[in-house]
Amino acid sequence: MFFMNRKKLADVADRLLDQQNIKGRSLWQDAYVRFRKNKAAVTSVVILTIMVLVSFIAPFFAPWDYETIDWNLIGDARAAGQPNIENGHYFGTDNLGRDIFARTLQGTQISLLVGLLGTAVAVVIGLFYGAIAGYFGGRLDNVMMRFVDILMSIPTMFIIIIAMVVFGRSIFLLFLAIGLFAWMDMARIVRGQTLAIKNKEYVEAARSAGVGNIRIITRHIIPNLLGIVVIYTSLLIPGLILTESFISFLGLGIQEPLTSWGALINEGAGQIQYGTPWQLGFPIGFFVVGLYCFLFIGDGLRDALDPK
Amino acid sequence: MLKFIIVRFLSSIPTLLLLIIVSFVLMHLAPGGPFTSEKELPPEVLANINAKYGLDKSWPEQLWNYITSIIFHFDFGPSFKYKDISVNDIIAQGFPITMTYGLWSFFVATTVGIALGITAAVKHNTWIDYFAVGVSIGAQVLPNFIMAPILIIIFTLWLDLLPGGGWNNGAWQNIILPVIALSTSFMASIARLTRGSMLEVLNSNFIRTAKAKGLPARTIIFRHAIKPALLPIMSYLGPAFVGMISGSVVIDIYFSTGGMGQFFVEAALSRDYSLLMGVTILFGVLTIIFSAVVDILYAWLDPKIKL
Repeated sequence: MFFMNRKKLADVADRLLDQQNIKGRSLWQDAYVRFRKNKAAVTSVVILTIMVLVSFIAPFFAPWDYETIDWNLIGDARAAGQPNIENGHYFGTDNLGRDIFARTLQGTQISLLVGLLGTAVAVVIGLFYGAIAGYFGGRLDNVMMRFVDILMSIPTMFIIIIAMVVFGRSIFLLFLAIGLFAWMDMARIVRGQTLAIKNKEYVEAARSAGVGNIRIITRHIIPNLLGIVVIYTSLLIPGLILTESFISFLGLGIQEPLTSWGALINEGAGQIQYGTPWQLGFPIGFFVVGLYCFLFIGDGLRDALDPK
Repeated sequence: MLKFIIVRFLSSIPTLLLLIIVSFVLMHLAPGGPFTSEKELPPEVLANINAKYGLDKSWPEQLWNYITSIIFHFDFGPSFKYKDISVNDIIAQGFPITMTYGLWSFFVATTVGIALGITAAVKHNTWIDYFAVGVSIGAQVLPNFIMAPILIIIFTLWLDLLPGGGWNNGAWQNIILPVIALSTSFMASIARLTRGSMLEVLNSNFIRTAKAKGLPARTIIFRHAIKPALLPIMSYLGPAFVGMISGSVVIDIYFSTGGMGQFFVEAALSRDYSLLMGVTILFGVLTIIFSAVVDILYAWLDPKIKL
């Protein structure tokens, strides 16, 4: 009997020792596990990673760059410009004899950059704007959110185009202008969450300990908003890529010789009656696959970070 | 109710003023005046031209003149590039065209989208549902500027059924492709939203009660479920309208329909600021009025809002 008890006690002691080694799981780790289970989202991450790597690395190894004209093929895109492994034009050439493979990669770079940089601008503005409006509340909140309402009921696409026309079509202005008119949704969502968070005990504790407002917002409010911010960021990226493609499709966005998905689709769409489907097909393929990946990743993140 | 309507319309005035001021300021931030870009003009001639278009006055004065002439005379001023026509003439020419296919697109997007969404929700987890979900996921990545060339390849180049462009006084053959191209992605979003909210309503208690009373499925769906299910869709109609207005630019460019969008892009490429502003403000007024109407309808239909 005594022997048994001792064995049991030793057992318990062992388990206690083991338990000390078990680490707590953070919310983010939980979310990561849930995200890993979403096959569509994980596949999208893989495809998108490949797309990013190819679009940024392959141009160094491709036989043609995105602006050089292949004078042998110019003028007869339909017969001579077909996709061809031997002469190095893997996706064919356009009507000006430029390599579609290199141009598609270049366009992918620009479109992804617009998505990321524009989103960065929008997220920073929306995060601080929403957090400040929600945290201080009252009349300030009223005025700030009324301004958001006003901005949201304006067809901002036209304002972006006017800005591009007036200030000249530089690529960084494009990033900035698109981001500057995309933060309103984020601000609304962040404000709503802030209203819920600001009355929590830890904010009260911080306030009673004499922490300043700015520091409460940056140290206590914003870190607790990150989950929802990540979800909406991932949905914002494809939206901004669409906006940029729209403007470039009209010929008012990115400027030659640089290109983007929208500009490539525009060029290809203008040539369809001349029998060069590869000029339209490859850019559309990249565009559709890229957007799908972002949408699936967004869905996956929402399921992972915001399980109901 | 009347008070709510008046207040709602009054509250869109600041929006309108902000839109006008932003586009006005942007336009005047442009380096040089609208007439300095071409070949060097003698200063006296330039001064005369500026005086003719009222550009010699101070900024606030110009802004005031611009706003008052829009409000009281509905006059958007002269075009800086087309010498003999005013912005109003261009609007008169392009606006009816944009409106025709715009309203058709809006009609198609809402009716087809809602019908698809409701059918999918009612036939939950059948092949109809999967089909509807597949269509709405697929159409998310098929915005108007992708749909337009694809439609032309299929219906004009391969099947040779429909003309690939032109307006032809609004013949139905010329309207079909623009309407499909413009409405597809919005139709998909509306279908997805409708399906979601309809599923939620169908699982709620009052529907279960209706079923328990032995009401026929048709009555349950059309008398009880549709109204609460469609209310959330109303708030998507505003953004959808804004998206369609912007999308009309692509349609005009790609199908050469001759609507306002065509003039907008031409104005942007030739830096015709007054025309750019005129079109922007007109589109802005349209969206502002539309969102006010949607808000009022919402308040009228939603039993939870009492006026």
